[in-house]
Amino acid sequence: MSDDLPEQFDLVVIGTGFTESCIAAAGSRVGKSVLHLDSNEFYGDVWSSFTIDALCARLDQKSEPHSTLRNGSYNWHTTEKETGEQPWNRDSMLAKSRRFSLDLCPRILYAAGELVQLLIKSNICRYAEFRAVDHVCMRHNGEIVSVPCSRSDVFNTKTLTIVEKRLLMKFLTACNDYGEDKCNEDSLEFRGRTFQEYLQAQRVTEKISSCVMQAIAMCGPTTSFEEGMQRTQRFLGSLGRYGNTPFLFPMYGCGELPQCFCRLCAVYGGIYCLKRAVDDIALDSSSNEFLLSSAGKTLRAKNVVSAPGYPPVSKGIEMKPHISRGLFISSSPLGNEELNKGGGGVNLLRLLDADGSREAILIQLAHYTGACPEGLYIFHLTTPAVSEDPAADLAVFTSQLFDHSDAQIIFSSYFTIVAQSNKSVAAEHIHYTDTPTYELDYDAAIANARHIFGKLFADADFLPRAPDPEEIVVDGEDPSALNEHSLPEDLRAQLQDMQQATQEMDIQD
Amino acid sequence: MHGRVKVRTTEEERERKKKEQALKVRAYRAAMGRIQKKREAGELDNEMLTLTVQILQRNPDVSTLWNIRRECVLEKLSKLKDEEERSQQEVEEKPTEEGPLEDEPQEKEPLADDKAHSIFTCELDLTEQCLMVNPKSYNAWHHRCWTLEQNPRADWQRELQLCNKYLKFDERNFHTWDYRRYVTEKASVPAAQELDFCTEKIKVNFSNYSSWHHRSLLLPELYPNEQKTRPMSEEKLQQELEMVLTAAFTDPNDSSAWFYQRWLLGSGAQLDRAPRIAAFRLESHGAVLALDKPYPDLKQLKTELVGGEQKVLLQSWLPVDCSGTSWKCQQTFDYQRNTTYTLKLSEQEVNLLPLPGNEDGAFYFAPPHAVASCSKELLAELQTQLQSCLELLEFEPDSKWTLLTSALLMRAIDASANHQKSLEHLAKLEKVDALREGYYKDLAARWTLELELAKWPQADGFPRDFALPQDVILASLPYKQYFIIADELKLSSKLKETLGDLVPKTFKNLKVQNDL
Repeated sequence: MSDDLPEQFDLVVIGTGFTESCIAAAGSRVGKSVLHLDSNEFYGDVWSSFTIDALCARLDQKSEPHSTLRNGSYNWHTTEKETGEQPWNRDSMLAKSRRFSLDLCPRILYAAGELVQLLIKSNICRYAEFRAVDHVCMRHNGEIVSVPCSRSDVFNTKTLTIVEKRLLMKFLTACNDYGEDKCNEDSLEFRGRTFQEYLQAQRVTEKISSCVMQAIAMCGPTTSFEEGMQRTQRFLGSLGRYGNTPFLFPMYGCGELPQCFCRLCAVYGGIYCLKRAVDDIALDSSSNEFLLSSAGKTLRAKNVVSAPGYPPVSKGIEMKPHISRGLFISSSPLGNEELNKGGGGVNLLRLLDADGSREAILIQLAHYTGACPEGLYIFHLTTPAVSEDPAADLAVFTSQLFDHSDAQIIFSSYFTIVAQSNKSVAAEHIHYTDTPTYELDYDAAIANARHIFGKLFADADFLPRAPDPEEIVVDGEDPSALNEHSLPEDLRAQLQDMQQATQEMDIQD
Repeated sequence: MHGRVKVRTTEEERERKKKEQALKVRAYRAAMGRIQKKREAGELDNEMLTLTVQILQRNPDVSTLWNIRRECVLEKLSKLKDEEERSQQEVEEKPTEEGPLEDEPQEKEPLADDKAHSIFTCELDLTEQCLMVNPKSYNAWHHRCWTLEQNPRADWQRELQLCNKYLKFDERNFHTWDYRRYVTEKASVPAAQELDFCTEKIKVNFSNYSSWHHRSLLLPELYPNEQKTRPMSEEKLQQELEMVLTAAFTDPNDSSAWFYQRWLLGSGAQLDRAPRIAAFRLESHGAVLALDKPYPDLKQLKTELVGGEQKVLLQSWLPVDCSGTSWKCQQTFDYQRNTTYTLKLSEQEVNLLPLPGNEDGAFYFAPPHAVASCSKELLAELQTQLQSCLELLEFEPDSKWTLLTSALLMRAIDASANHQKSLEHLAKLEKVDALREGYYKDLAARWTLELELAKWPQADGFPRDFALPQDVILASLPYKQYFIIADELKLSSKLKETLGDLVPKTFKNLKVQNDL
């Protein structure tokens, strides 16, 4: 295979994570010749989804200083021989390993957010499938409760009084309309103050206040008024598009998303090589091209983009803990029956520690997402890292979740995702992407991809719409010609019938 | 440009669309021409069915084609029947030779039946396809009903499933709701089950006039009100009020919930109920009768006066005005003092009172919308709701629907005690909802007159004189027919001016004009 590989590329991308795939697709889409390499045998790097045995293997792997994932550990919580009542244990789960799709970096998409817009705009959406998030939850008095998102939720919820319902709807409408009138009294009065202060001034009850702070605006006590408004608007702007909540989750896990971009890249001629590492990169000062040696071959590239964890790592790159992750598999879901109707779906819960200074995101997945077999539930817990010990970082949140619940945890694992501590990179001309940041959606990752793409190809359009197959003109065809085959099938049949029926008839046009 | 994707330009795309359009038009014209020729020739055959299908699938709103299809279906059915009769005759003519042959006619019968059934199935499938193209096609829905009516083996359960499916696609399609009522009746679906379905749909989206309306038809049937003064039993009414107020508070700008609430707070009057006697006055030379709602011709209803041994039919009623609510009758009548008279109008029977004073005569009067008393529980619910509304008004003093609803709630709790307060709400509404100023003024006039008419029987000079207090300002004068039994109306000069020719006629007026 390596013999067939061309030697000259406009762009070589190392690593198939989300950001790299995005850049590769964008480059290929505007006609650049792209080579996309990954030393791993799977797509997605630290953005990937794993089967359960692959995840265990990944966590067992000894991490190197530049690895983007470290501090991995896992545990099975079942005894070897289980009685018939509990069908799931280590063996039965490993036997169905391939039915799992366990995300290293699980995300939730805003239905009108950056990524969804990008997928639609670029027409990459045809490669992806989503499930609308079923419930947005919050913790209230130690219980997990569903937060009313849509108008019908507010109407149906039993947890708010009718006056509270009115106040909540009124508040949300006000947030939605905010900004249309810049001289709005509120915006002047609360400029520079916190969102919480604004909320308190709205005479809303404590319950509504926690709905908004915890789940809708996803704010902390120090979030500014403007920021809180913006977040609330983002939530509201995504409502009513696909489901009852404003969020989407990719079917079969987030690891699908980088692959969608890779697919577009390949459709436009991008070349893919997995299990292929780059041994060395050098800049040829005469031609201003990079010389990459890989598997005994030298490739020439005008530009190189790399994920930070891939060798040859530039000297001086230093990794520090960025995200602490917990991944649990349970045979029973969290929260009451109402939250997990019909086997459950995707539930989102934002957790806060006692003084509200630290937060974590919990994503609960049921088998309808295609991420695990029926009867099991995945809990993805993510929090910004504060130490090298992910379990300790998450302890305050796991105790909130599991201490007083009857969730039957069968498998638990922890790991840390790291980030570059400084951007000082020896080879200045190589563009390094960022590792996953702590965010709900992919906004920062897309911004990162856009930024690097802008530096590489300043005048090119970032992922313009890819045409549908029927819009593509085959070589030598009259582009405006309408042949029989381009007609819808039933219309073609009708025309044939007509022609038969009207053979003896005089048609006046 | 090797390896580069070539995409059609918008220009080229437009060109293609144009060509496609032209082809479609050609096909349409050809088919229509052919259909017309065949119809003239009376060829109601399979080809005709095929041709109409092709057009209807694209445009289900060509009524003519549906009519032609019905002709074709009937033709096919009659042919089937003929065949069947013929084969039966053959069987009869053929003497039975062996035992097993006897079963044959029984086997053939369902065969013909199956054929007919498949004709109907074909029509149903077509309407289904057409409804996918246009879910609000009157023609397609009508054809579906027609087909089912023709088919003795119609599967109503399947139709019910179809309604469920369509209402999942669009829970607000009133065609589907209408069709659903037709189907549920045929399939004898229990009303309770329907109500559950309806509740589910409201939970999904309560901005749905159709489902509120569906409820309003089911509830009086499921939870009838014994006294007929409310739309349904008070217990259920309480729950409904709670639900609808929740909807209204969730989105006060959605009018569907408020409309349903007004119906709930109303008297549950059926639109098609018979008119009732509002007022009646009788003297020896004639009588006047006011109805609480218009009726086109009183002569159609049997009006009978009974007193002691007397039984007199009152006939030849003439309208006093064009609204059909007040009527006069110039029949002379032998009035007997000290006799209790009753008046019968259709099913209704009322006792008359003797006219006070010297003149002979009797009368009857029932003020409009007499407020029904309600149970403690319902009253408590109404008060809770009023409290919620008033609380909301503190936050949103200009909320139009809240203002109106709280006024209605106050009236439902105690119309006369809350009269002033409810008028204040209307006055405020005139300002915040200026486009409907006239409506609120009329409503204020109605409420005021309801109160004044309710007080009238206790007033001096009743029923001869009616006096409207000078401080009462009215924009109009509703309930005019109730004044027909009076002699004198004491209205403010300003109101008289406003009314002009529309000042209601009184008994005395009619007497002076020698109309009585």
